[in-house]
Amino acid sequence: MSSSSPSPSCCHAAEGSAGLADGMERELARERTLLRRKVSVAAVLTGLVVLSSLPHMLGGGHHSFLPPWFTSPWTQLILTTPVLFWCGRDFFTGAISAFRQHSADMNTLVAAGTGIAWLTSLFTTLFPQVLVAEGLPADVYYETAAVILTLVLLGRLLEARARGQTSEAIRRLLQLQPPTARVLRDGQPVEIPVSRVVVGDLVQVRPGDKIPVDGEVIEGSSWVEESMLTGEPTAVSKGVGDAVIGASINRNGSFSFRVNRVGGDTVLAQIVDLVRQAQSSRTQVQRLADQVVGWFVPVVIALAIAAFVVWFLVSGNAVLAMLFLVSVLVIACPCALGLATPTSIMVASGKGAENGLIFRSAEALETAGKVRTIVLDKTGTLTRGQPQVTDFERLPGGALPADTLLALTAAIESRSEHPLAEALVAYSLSHRKEGELPGVEGFEAVAGRGVQGSIAGQRVRVGTPRWFEELGMNVAALKPLVERLEAAACSVAVVVVDGRLEGCFGVADPLKPSSAAAVAALRRLGLQVVMLSGDARRTAEVVAAQVGIERVIAQVRPADKALVVKRLQEQGEGPVAMVGDGINDAPALAQADVGIAMGTGTDVAIAASDITLISGNLAGVPASIELSRAAMANIRQNLVFAFAYNVAGIPLAAGLLFPLTGWLLSPMIAGAAMAFSSVSVVSNALRLRTFRPARLPLPIR
Amino acid sequence: MPIFAAAGPLWRTIDQPVAIKGLVAMAGLLLIAWELWWFLGRHGGGVAARESAAGWQEITITVDGGYAPSRIQVKAGRPLRLSFHRIDPSGCVAQVIFPDFLKTLDLPLDATTSLELPATEAGVYPFHCGMNMVRGVLEVVD
Repeated sequence: MSSSSPSPSCCHAAEGSAGLADGMERELARERTLLRRKVSVAAVLTGLVVLSSLPHMLGGGHHSFLPPWFTSPWTQLILTTPVLFWCGRDFFTGAISAFRQHSADMNTLVAAGTGIAWLTSLFTTLFPQVLVAEGLPADVYYETAAVILTLVLLGRLLEARARGQTSEAIRRLLQLQPPTARVLRDGQPVEIPVSRVVVGDLVQVRPGDKIPVDGEVIEGSSWVEESMLTGEPTAVSKGVGDAVIGASINRNGSFSFRVNRVGGDTVLAQIVDLVRQAQSSRTQVQRLADQVVGWFVPVVIALAIAAFVVWFLVSGNAVLAMLFLVSVLVIACPCALGLATPTSIMVASGKGAENGLIFRSAEALETAGKVRTIVLDKTGTLTRGQPQVTDFERLPGGALPADTLLALTAAIESRSEHPLAEALVAYSLSHRKEGELPGVEGFEAVAGRGVQGSIAGQRVRVGTPRWFEELGMNVAALKPLVERLEAAACSVAVVVVDGRLEGCFGVADPLKPSSAAAVAALRRLGLQVVMLSGDARRTAEVVAAQVGIERVIAQVRPADKALVVKRLQEQGEGPVAMVGDGINDAPALAQADVGIAMGTGTDVAIAASDITLISGNLAGVPASIELSRAAMANIRQNLVFAFAYNVAGIPLAAGLLFPLTGWLLSPMIAGAAMAFSSVSVVSNALRLRTFRPARLPLPIR
Repeated sequence: MPIFAAAGPLWRTIDQPVAIKGLVAMAGLLLIAWELWWFLGRHGGGVAARESAAGWQEITITVDGGYAPSRIQVKAGRPLRLSFHRIDPSGCVAQVIFPDFLKTLDLPLDATTSLELPATEAGVYPFHCGMNMVRGVLEVVD
């Protein structure tokens, strides 16, 4: 699949990658079957070789129960050769083609180690008199070659199985999409493959159905389960005009929706793409490991040759020196080093996706765990971002009935473009009786003050208390009320008709229910939490106190948010994470060490962010920090293990301890150790699958 | 054989003539030097990508144990199409990863799979297989 720019053919990208994933899946399954067969054949033959070599290993005298032909070196040669060159064929072909490319890898080490043991034994089998003349027993080491190869092959099988599980998250995501959709064609519902659904189609969804693609509800209503995409545990209510996302599950209602995104444009396909992207990237730690791996194998080969030379010089015994050479070759495990980070990243980013946390790259995952200061934007992040009227009071001295007052407010504010106007109109319309709104003449918006106009001969003004003070009105009666509202972080709008104070609205941007719990969770993680707001200091402080934030930076214009983040970084409070809604906060998100965007559930691809929280739930912020910390701890364990393993294993295999303790590491044990080092690294990474973000307590309402 | 075979009588010391010892030591050192040069030395510059009509640079890479060629030279500022032809059945090379471009490419066996990269700044961009054992380098030069 190419990384093509949007083109008609890429509309089926999701299906395409699913198809490709299936193909790769089949190929891997085939490989595993063949590997299993090879491991069984190798195990049987190796068992026989070991049995055949028992008398020699036990030092002779016990071989009366085995016929002499069975313990002959020639029998061992016949049994071992297919183990090496059929079961282990891939090691040799791989080593040869790598060699031609001037590269050396694990195949090189295994092929060289077992090949040398086999060749030496072949030489002894053909010309035993050469060794006898030297005063050495004409021993063969076929069982060593066979056992090493079988163990490494077994290790590879276990590793293939475990690695299959690391990409499970993506596979599960791809399987979420149902294969067919119920589409209205010529007014009749027809069941068609999802790949043939086009933008503009009408899709019917029945109770219990999976929603096939993205779209907007045009008829009916229901509750929809989106947890598999957003990580939100509760079902979401959907009615006309609401967006639905493909792969979510409809509960008990029925509805129809108009398709607006298919194929590679759907939220599901974008999530899959982002997760794959993160899994292709690498961390800073990994860059270091990569450099080591590149040098590793040639250096190990050099050490093995050096071990041979030194032992030959010391003992003059070529067979002994050869055993050291083989041990050094097979104990070194570059695979464990190479696998240490990517497997953890694979599992962690998959786990993130399951919980609605999308990491853009491995580096985002790496940095998020180190964050010390977290900056939360107020509007849209801590709050819903949609102001609502929280208080409406008629003032003493007012002459108009409430219903008339609301009608006047709705009429005049519906002409205004102020952010608070929408809240006033929505409230007024829903709290008054049905009926036409009166017409407005001479409408005028006074910047920073309010609006005014004439309705049925009455002069109507809606605006801030300060405006009316400036106009010379006596607003003393308002004072207590205004103070109370402002203490609750409300903006105050006063309605004045023909110079009479008639009513007063308190408008506030309500907090999201999870905000306070999320802030508490962040503080428990030891982070310094800072709130950023464009509001006046007093309002901002009230909101901050409600969610438990002590440090507030208020009166910040949108354009200055990035500067604030930069200043925090310069003051040495970094790494800094910035949480925002992703659109107007883009520069601040990009400036922060980690930009976390609150998704809306339908728009995943938020450009500037390192982490996207699909559900828009603030609980995802502590969850992603926890996941990142868990993943980095896991990577560190893997790297420490892989390095320590090689650092300890190679000198032991080279016989450094022999002069002190008389210990020799049997080459077969070296082979077993190599095989299981990779398996243990992958298994450790798989432990991350048990990661569960701490569920935040929901506030009691 | 026990885990740690104690040094028994079979592991006897043999007096070798000095000439043989010298020869083995020399041969060993030469072998080490040659092996390090073969695997770690630089072997020729990269293979340059050819240029196609629409301004694309194109190159086909055969995946068989390694990447052939494994060192690819392209010009900066022009889009690049890399075609991987995989004939090696080993599962290890079934994926090729370009970490700097955040791209992972699945390579079906016995097929050619293309990766298109946008015009890039000069620099050295490594790529490798899923297990990071088989490696190549993309050299973008001005």
